Amino acid sequence: MELDLSKYLGLFVSESKDHLEALSRTLVDLERAQAGEVPELVDKMFRHAHSMKGMASTMQFDGIALLAHRAEDVIGVLRGRSGPIDAEVVDLLLSAADSLLGMVEASAGGGAPGAPSQPLVDSLAQAFAALKRGERVPAPEAPTAVDAPPPPAPAAPPASAGALRLAVEVEVAGACPVPSVRGYLVLKRLEALGTVLAASPGHDDLKAGRIPDRRLTATIETTQTPQAVEQALAQIADLAKVVARPAGEEPSPPVAAAKAEAPAEAQRTVRVRAELLDEFLDVVGELLLATARLRAVGRAIPEAQRRPHDDGVDRLHSVVKDLHLKVMAARMTPLTVLSDRLPRAARDLARRGGKQVDVSVSGAEIEIDRSLLEDIADPVLHVLRNAVDHGLETPAERIALGKSATGHVEVSARRERDRVVMEIADDGRGMDPERLRQAAVERGALSREQAAALSDAEALELACLPGVSTARAVTDVSGRGVGMDAVKRAVEAAGGSLQIESRRGQGTRIAMRLPLTVAVQPVLLVRVADEILALPVSKVHGAAEVELEKLERSGGAPLLGFGGTHLPVHDLATLIGLSPGRATGKRSVVVTEGGEGRVGLAVDQLLGQEEAVLKPLHRPLSLVPGLSAVTVLGSGRPVFVLDVPRLVAA
Amino acid sequence: MSKKVLVVDDAIFMRNMIKDIFASGGFEVVGEAANGLEAVEKFKELRPDLTTMDIVMPFKSGIEATREIVKVDPRAVVVMCSALGQESLVMEAIEAGASDFIVKPFKSEDVLSVVRKVLGEA
Repeated sequence: MELDLSKYLGLFVSESKDHLEALSRTLVDLERAQAGEVPELVDKMFRHAHSMKGMASTMQFDGIALLAHRAEDVIGVLRGRSGPIDAEVVDLLLSAADSLLGMVEASAGGGAPGAPSQPLVDSLAQAFAALKRGERVPAPEAPTAVDAPPPPAPAAPPASAGALRLAVEVEVAGACPVPSVRGYLVLKRLEALGTVLAASPGHDDLKAGRIPDRRLTATIETTQTPQAVEQALAQIADLAKVVARPAGEEPSPPVAAAKAEAPAEAQRTVRVRAELLDEFLDVVGELLLATARLRAVGRAIPEAQRRPHDDGVDRLHSVVKDLHLKVMAARMTPLTVLSDRLPRAARDLARRGGKQVDVSVSGAEIEIDRSLLEDIADPVLHVLRNAVDHGLETPAERIALGKSATGHVEVSARRERDRVVMEIADDGRGMDPERLRQAAVERGALSREQAAALSDAEALELACLPGVSTARAVTDVSGRGVGMDAVKRAVEAAGGSLQIESRRGQGTRIAMRLPLTVAVQPVLLVRVADEILALPVSKVHGAAEVELEKLERSGGAPLLGFGGTHLPVHDLATLIGLSPGRATGKRSVVVTEGGEGRVGLAVDQLLGQEEAVLKPLHRPLSLVPGLSAVTVLGSGRPVFVLDVPRLVAA
Repeated sequence: MSKKVLVVDDAIFMRNMIKDIFASGGFEVVGEAANGLEAVEKFKELRPDLTTMDIVMPFKSGIEATREIVKVDPRAVVVMCSALGQESLVMEAIEAGASDFIVKPFKSEDVLSVVRKVLGEA
């Protein structure tokens, strides 16, 4: 009976990726591990490589299996050593992990992953031989060629001496009421007979009662003959079929030739298309709006008869809100998805720049909305690159400065009420406020006087001005290179804010303050002339009703006494380009965050608070300063959400 | 020579039924036990060729008893008597060293076929 391997492809890909990512992470950990920790990490790596090999050979992806086997060989020699592992070996194994990941990804579409890069296979074999002889592994002379001629399809990696690799296939009889338990018994028996390299379904699936088509396949390495294995399994009741034969003998079509649609069967976890989660959120948004519209319609019903309608709408509203919470929860993704990549990225950057870096990550278990995670991935990597490339000194410089040769980058995340604060701190050379002032003046962003008037903390913010951070002189001296303006823009677009702290010679700390979730926010609706506009409630500090002409003035702007201080009051109508609102009589003033401290906004009427589903603006509206998003009211009317700091600054 | 069987179950009804099944199949039931504690004692004393083991029993579960029996004799053959819905317990028992299992309600030919196979007689 042919086994339809394509059915297991989805699971193979996702599990393989887990193993390979874990392998890469462990390799990076290995470099900075204490001597005592090395054996445990090597063991871990061995298991990952071993699992990878077993899964690939079961899937008959011989190329992947071969490469994994070579990597496993190298790791195998490292076993039992407690000394540090050379960076060259780590480099080589990282390339192998990367290459394996590429091949696994190539297989995901149902195509054949092909043969591994021959130079890489050769390097691994050489490293294996060198390590066995107790020699150092030479640094690779040239980057491994990508265009190496594809070698003839490699045979499956040889089994260890004396042992035979067998493919075992078992089918549980239809009469058995608990086929997964039978399968489990078979697996246990196989484990007693030899080493199980791969099994499908595996332990966990069987324990969860899963044994698709009542069939179990396994690859084992054993000193027993196929006949002996079959005999041993024949002692188990309720098996309709038992076949054991040397692996690779059965004439199976390659997976590529199997069904093109390759239904990826997620068994261990339910994987949902990411876009589906976005669509859910959109639908929930529509539901919230529809509910608000129903409530509005109900106002037309005479008060005496409105009760049943309102009760119904209340119930609907609470159900929709519950649904919304659940959809949001399903979208929450741990920061590890992002932070797991950082130590590796930092290491590669450091190696390239002749530096040493140790990255520590904390708080990565915190979850944020997946779209936010996507939004901040690039900014975080940018900041990390800056920290390593420009912040950290070379080991020689650091030692001369009395620092440790290895630089430290600390990535931490913590919850602060409804926000997540993600910080990236290095102990490098820090930024130079004076050079930033000069650069800003040279770029024409500030006059000399303006620049001189800035405090050091304010001067650091200049790094976020376009053109300033990319100035070459600054790159070399201040320690902040690439596109801090881009970083700031991206973080703010995600609804967050950016803060820079830096001390010369001691390092730089970049803090990103981010919302946990997106999309639905309470907004305060205000009316200005015939326009309805929305302000994010999270930014609103209060409201007052005043007669503007009776207020004290400073520089032409009325000053509102609020919370023991005086705030400038702007006429919102003027800010958005309408004819100025009434200057006399009582006006409502909303106190909100205005960039540099709070400001008052004079409006014609406060309409109340609503939960708004915020939709991002697209060009050309996204280019209008002062608008941050759009929402649709219950009445169907679109309303812009204001970005007050930009509006005031414009 | 007929094979010796030890029957472990806390229900007399079940023990009698199992004893009858074995008798009809030409096995010799050499002893019975009503709980896990007793099962281990009886096993040490009787050294049967086969032990049938209920899972949920007072004092000591069948899983624990199996673990101890296999420790006493790694070649001991223990067949679990389980019910539908006990899949995870059976797997635990397999982990502990059980050789096979039967699922209640069972027919006598099922029981005999399982034990003959596990004893290598089929």
